[in-house]
Amino acid sequence: MKKSAIFGLVVIAIAIAVIISVYSNSSTYGSFSDATKTTSELHIVGHLNKTKQLYYDATKDANYFSFYMKDNKGEERKVIFTGTKPEDFERSEQLVLTGTMVGQEFHASKILMKCPSKYTQDKLEITEAKATQASI
Amino acid sequence: MDTVFKGEHLLPGQIGQFFIVLSFGAALISFISYYFATTEDAGKNDSSWQRMGRIGFYVNSISILGMGVCLFYVIYNHYFEYHYAWAYTSRSLPVYYIVSGFWNGQEGGFLLWTFWQAVLGNILIRRAKSWERPVMTVVAFSQIVLATMVLGVEILGTRIGSSPFLLLRKALEAPIFQNPDYLSFIKDGQGMNPSLQNYWMIIHPPTLFLGFASIVVPFAYAVAGLWQKRYKDWVAPAIPYALFAGMILGTGVIMGAFWAYESLNFGGFWAWDPVENASIFPWITMVAALHVLIVYKNTGHSYFTATFLVLISFVLVWYSSFLSRSGILGDTSVHSFTDNGMFWQLVISVLIFLIISVVLLVARWKQLPITKKDEDTYSREFWMFVGSVFLGLSCFHLLVVTSVPVWNAMFGTKIAPPSDVIKHYNVIQSSFAFVVTILTGIAQFLKYKKTDVTRFFITTGLYLLFAALITALVVYGTGVYKLNAVFILVMWGSVYSVVANAKILGDAFKGQYKLAGSAVAHIGFGLLLVGALIAAGTSSVISINNTGEGFSPEFAKEQNPRENIIVYRNQPVKMGDFLVTYTGDSISAPNHFFKVDYKQVDANGKVTNEFVLKPKVQVNKGQLASSPDTKHYLFHDMYTHITMSNAISATEGGSESAHDEVDDDKNYDTPVSHEVKPGDTIKYRDGYILVKALNKEAKVQNIPLSDSDVAIGANLEVVTHGNHYNVVPVYMIKNGNVFDFARKVDDAGLKLRFSKVIPENKKVEIMVYQQPESKKKFIVMKAIQFPYINFFWAGTIIMVIGFFMSIRRRKKELKVV
Repeated sequence: MKKSAIFGLVVIAIAIAVIISVYSNSSTYGSFSDATKTTSELHIVGHLNKTKQLYYDATKDANYFSFYMKDNKGEERKVIFTGTKPEDFERSEQLVLTGTMVGQEFHASKILMKCPSKYTQDKLEITEAKATQASI
Repeated sequence: MDTVFKGEHLLPGQIGQFFIVLSFGAALISFISYYFATTEDAGKNDSSWQRMGRIGFYVNSISILGMGVCLFYVIYNHYFEYHYAWAYTSRSLPVYYIVSGFWNGQEGGFLLWTFWQAVLGNILIRRAKSWERPVMTVVAFSQIVLATMVLGVEILGTRIGSSPFLLLRKALEAPIFQNPDYLSFIKDGQGMNPSLQNYWMIIHPPTLFLGFASIVVPFAYAVAGLWQKRYKDWVAPAIPYALFAGMILGTGVIMGAFWAYESLNFGGFWAWDPVENASIFPWITMVAALHVLIVYKNTGHSYFTATFLVLISFVLVWYSSFLSRSGILGDTSVHSFTDNGMFWQLVISVLIFLIISVVLLVARWKQLPITKKDEDTYSREFWMFVGSVFLGLSCFHLLVVTSVPVWNAMFGTKIAPPSDVIKHYNVIQSSFAFVVTILTGIAQFLKYKKTDVTRFFITTGLYLLFAALITALVVYGTGVYKLNAVFILVMWGSVYSVVANAKILGDAFKGQYKLAGSAVAHIGFGLLLVGALIAAGTSSVISINNTGEGFSPEFAKEQNPRENIIVYRNQPVKMGDFLVTYTGDSISAPNHFFKVDYKQVDANGKVTNEFVLKPKVQVNKGQLASSPDTKHYLFHDMYTHITMSNAISATEGGSESAHDEVDDDKNYDTPVSHEVKPGDTIKYRDGYILVKALNKEAKVQNIPLSDSDVAIGANLEVVTHGNHYNVVPVYMIKNGNVFDFARKVDDAGLKLRFSKVIPENKKVEIMVYQQPESKKKFIVMKAIQFPYINFFWAGTIIMVIGFFMSIRRRKKELKVV
């Protein structure tokens, strides 16, 4: 067999190994109810329940932040994050959490939030204009 | 419908839009002309098609400049009737950021890209000689595609591209736009995201886009080579451009890393964010392509791989542009753009270049100069080839993981990226890096084509051993040995790459100057990896917080790193080797700086090292954005970042002083009264108060005293955490009424009242109000120590120098041949 053929096979083998390792490492998007059934880390997409309390008090514990999130199936859970409250958390439109269920609470190791105002700045902020506008 | 809007400046936009259309048309003409110049006028020296092509390209270049001028005019004059000016700039933005406002949006990014491509095209027209016609056909075609991105014209009901001259009232739907006088309500633009207001924003995007744009040149040469069946001779002229692309794109990417490290808050220089990954795909494949091009040039082997890598690099430029601009990364990236309505247009662009590449390769497959003979195992080229293929595999891995959302969109699956994605990338990419770095050393020891085998094994073995020794020392000294074994291997590979290439560089000084450039570049790359490994692998959070009250016991049991620590104003906290104090604030809108004092104290209580860091938080439209501050040492950096503070509010500048007295007392705990006489001390929670004297000449501003009135001041000295404050609360009898004037020591969180004089025992009553812990000013911060990060930056600079040396060498060779 030619050397280049052997090398080609090695390359293909590595490529396959890469795909397999990515696939086996990959996590899944799920809901809170999926998270209760598994112990492995899961990604959950949902949105913040802005009517419930966001708890963060640095004077008590600078690394404890809790809030309530509704996942895309509408189920709501308390979420605990070991860290500070991310900036502009209240403005988030969508959250992607990574973590596991511990009892009835979801412990997030990572929070990714999408704040539309940051990148598409298409929210016209009209401060004084509104009052004038109403009369037209 | 035909409302006449007041105060709009439509002319610059119309001129700009005209230039956009003109640039599109000119590129189209240039492309067609060059195409016919290549096919019809082949072999003719004088070609009118070629002249047309040139003119078309010049017109294209000029109209791109015109667009730029118009856009700048709009932004500079704050014409907020234009969406671009409104969305990315504001009146308060300094002029130098207005320049960067230019490329803040997606449209500006495309403009920058097409601008650089025009510059490169003009260079090619002068330099490419016999290659001009086919190469410029490709460049002009690429200009057409880019022009469509900013076209902003509706054709058959679909909008093609997004124009930077779009009017605000057309971009947004709001009732206000029915008012012809709407502009008088839009006083200011949205402004630039405060985290982008940084000098890196001025130089990073142009560099990055020059890097992306310059990949078109090797691509054009490769396409031209296939198209014109000149398989052999496109390689030599393409190599300097490929080197240039690798140099600039590498610089641009690392600039981004430096920017992130210096002023964004991810706590590091590389976060494996999909957008970051996307920007290095083309770099990796370009560097791999470069090596294989040299292999082909020297031996005639590996033609297909060389061409393939060049072609795929350019396709990946477009793919990475698709990833970051189409909004597809929404769930996985923190800094991708959202969809601008150009999803399919971007997909088509990627596909066009992919199809061109595939079709050409397939059509010419039979004629490709593919050698049947195997390469010699002991030739440098063989191992360069192997190394390049591993670079390609590393890019393949990055691509597979980063594109997870794309796979989901294509196959309807619901895969999420690995949950500990950073570790995943680190481990797998390190495995590739190990192979590649070892090969950068081994290949250099081999001769082109044929080598003395025994000598080679001896030198390689010796250097590997030597590198292993150094690695052992480094790994032990820095604590890298605590990490995954693969990182130790990479360390070994990188050190080996540095020492082996240092030897080559030494030889180069003795006369074999040819290899100097590559040796320098490889040394740089090796150092870069060493720096990255140590800095990222052994960075230690020194603000570890063990004082949290722990809301639930099981919460504390988990090994959660508690990386944020609360620091009250003027109360030093021990943090690692440091005594850290939050000493104050300084505000210059929109920046709010927090002064954080670091002290190192030796066993005798002597201060051995002291510095002040000023991390800042910016306030912009109710949003807070924090930027770290870093103390740089030669061998490590101290990084400090504010994650939260009660000393700043989103509406900073609003007055808090308007509270009346009764309200103010609510900010304090129940007061404690003390009966004291001069010379006494009052103890309180955070220190003590010295009663120094009572003075009868106390004065209170704006209150004149008559002879019958009395005003007594108590001279108090507050001592807390080594700080001294003098205050004089005043007790006053005026017109028979008793008043007292409290004094506050904000830094100490105290309010002191001189409330009573007790003549019987010659004492006075002092009331001490203390702020509860929660009302005292504090910051929550995170401090990270990054050891040896300077290797990372220095390695980058050395690598760029190496690239530069190689470009000079390859250009010289070109002239000789």
